[in-house]
Amino acid sequence: MQVERAPGRALLPHRDEKIRTGLELAAVDQRRKLLELGRDLGVRLHYGAMFSCIEILTILYLYWMRLRPSEPDWPERDRFILSKGHAAPALYAVLAACGFFPESEFRRFRKLSGILQGHPDRTKTPGVDCSTGSLGQGFAVACGMGLAARMDGAAYRVFTLLSDGECNEGSIWEAALIAANLELDTVTALLDRNRMSSYGPMEGRNDVEPLAEKWAAFGWKVLECDGHDFFALSTALSAAQECRSKPSIIVCHTIKNRGIPAAEGRHMPSNYALEERNCREALERLDMRERELTDGPADG
Amino acid sequence: MGPPTADFGAAFADALLEVGKACEQVVVLDADIADSCRTEAFRKAFPKRAFDLGVAEQSLPTFAAGLALAGKVPFYNSFAPFAVLRGLDMIRQSVAYNRANVKIVGHAAGQSMGYTGPSHHTVEDIAALRALPGIVILAPCDAEETRQMVWAMAEVEGAMYLRLPRGAAPNVHGPDFRFEIGRTYCLRRGGDVTIFACGDVVALALEAASRLDSEGLQCQVVDVPTLKPLAAEEVIREGEHTRGAITVEDHNVLGGLGGAVAEIYAERLRKPVLRIGIPDRFTESDEAPVLREACGLSVRSIVEAARRLRGRA
Repeated sequence: MQVERAPGRALLPHRDEKIRTGLELAAVDQRRKLLELGRDLGVRLHYGAMFSCIEILTILYLYWMRLRPSEPDWPERDRFILSKGHAAPALYAVLAACGFFPESEFRRFRKLSGILQGHPDRTKTPGVDCSTGSLGQGFAVACGMGLAARMDGAAYRVFTLLSDGECNEGSIWEAALIAANLELDTVTALLDRNRMSSYGPMEGRNDVEPLAEKWAAFGWKVLECDGHDFFALSTALSAAQECRSKPSIIVCHTIKNRGIPAAEGRHMPSNYALEERNCREALERLDMRERELTDGPADG
Repeated sequence: MGPPTADFGAAFADALLEVGKACEQVVVLDADIADSCRTEAFRKAFPKRAFDLGVAEQSLPTFAAGLALAGKVPFYNSFAPFAVLRGLDMIRQSVAYNRANVKIVGHAAGQSMGYTGPSHHTVEDIAALRALPGIVILAPCDAEETRQMVWAMAEVEGAMYLRLPRGAAPNVHGPDFRFEIGRTYCLRRGGDVTIFACGDVVALALEAASRLDSEGLQCQVVDVPTLKPLAAEEVIREGEHTRGAITVEDHNVLGGLGGAVAEIYAERLRKPVLRIGIPDRFTESDEAPVLREACGLSVRSIVEAARRLRGRA
């Protein structure tokens, strides 16, 4: 299902169920593609980290950002940096959905000479703006790009997605302070707040609360929303865009492993192989969701 | 009276200002020591193209990478240990792997900060960066080479590191000198021993060669301003007619110029290499010339090494 491309960066009109349904169906597609990728190639994936940010990536790539998939290096394109690089396959799924490369490339995922590396590689994958993988860096590179955008008075904006666990990295806060001091209103960060890092729930362990207050104290405009709700994401993206003289961060409250019934909201190993029956169950759930979206909710 | 000397920092400051005038994409990043890094002339001339990130050295490579990916030519500055080692993973991931056109300037490299002690000395920057694919490593021996390197960094695409000593050095290169990335420069011809040197200690090598000349030992002295990519064929050409090589650098004898030359000699020339530099230990506080003398980075050590090589023949 291809979503009709909006001109970019426009508030998702409330009650426009057609656009919303299109995005919901696209999110179903992304999750299905990733489940099939893990199943068909027999590889372990960061399902939790990928599935908590599907809606975020979907609205950015299929609705919000100004892009030209046929011209990946278009100078005026909006930039996106996946600072939480371990969710790379989720990024690849939306890039393929946009048409940056054919879906057949997934057959060579993580294979020698393939264009889809284990973590994003801007030199190999059309549409990837920055190579990431070492946590705490993509966010800072995005701030540097935002600085260039402001120096040039450029029309493009810079988006970056970081994780809550990544906020344990000191380099995040160093860059956050600099970006606020430089008043980089060209930058919108989205924070995938799924409350779990690799080794388990963050609460009481590597906690980052009070998270919104921390970012506000560092001089950022802070917005919070349900990271699985397209209307809420669109409203927050719009508010971030309106903000002047401050960088913005949207704390997206999300659920780890969202859409995998056997794992949803639960701590799993960060990088795991989904059991065949759990994968089948998740795919069936997606099929059901797709039918709901296309036919209206089933009776009973 | 020795030959006239000139200051590395002044040469860098002037050149940075000149490339700033010539190329509006040049941007300067500092981390709270713009004065020590001699970027103030640029900052004054181009206040909208110069940013002080504060005491945040690991953000220098990442912010520079972001600027570079958006078309700027960022020169970022700090003392060498902090410019290179504080954000080494940032240089690895966000600069080198990202193929970002970032220009790293490490100031007061080696032991040239003298009294500040080992926290501010850099014995390992060349070794650390040599193992990163795609980074060009430049070490100037005098002011003129510094000036031309800054131009080359601005003009040639790619991630680069400029290893800048603090203080002045005798002018080694004349007015006809033309620096090119990846070349070596023979400063003196001789058939007995080849001395490869980089940085401000090239002057020590030249002085040692003069002394050895008086005792009938002829040294070929080669300035190696590009540590990576090292011109292997030129190293072989400079060394194949002599008995062996001496390397001279203000860096750990492991992994720097000495290591690089020894690799080429072992594989291609099968001749001895004697490495003069900082032994594999942390340094101490004192004036830079005292520290160099104490660790054997001296004219006397070079002279003795050359005599040893002659004795082996």
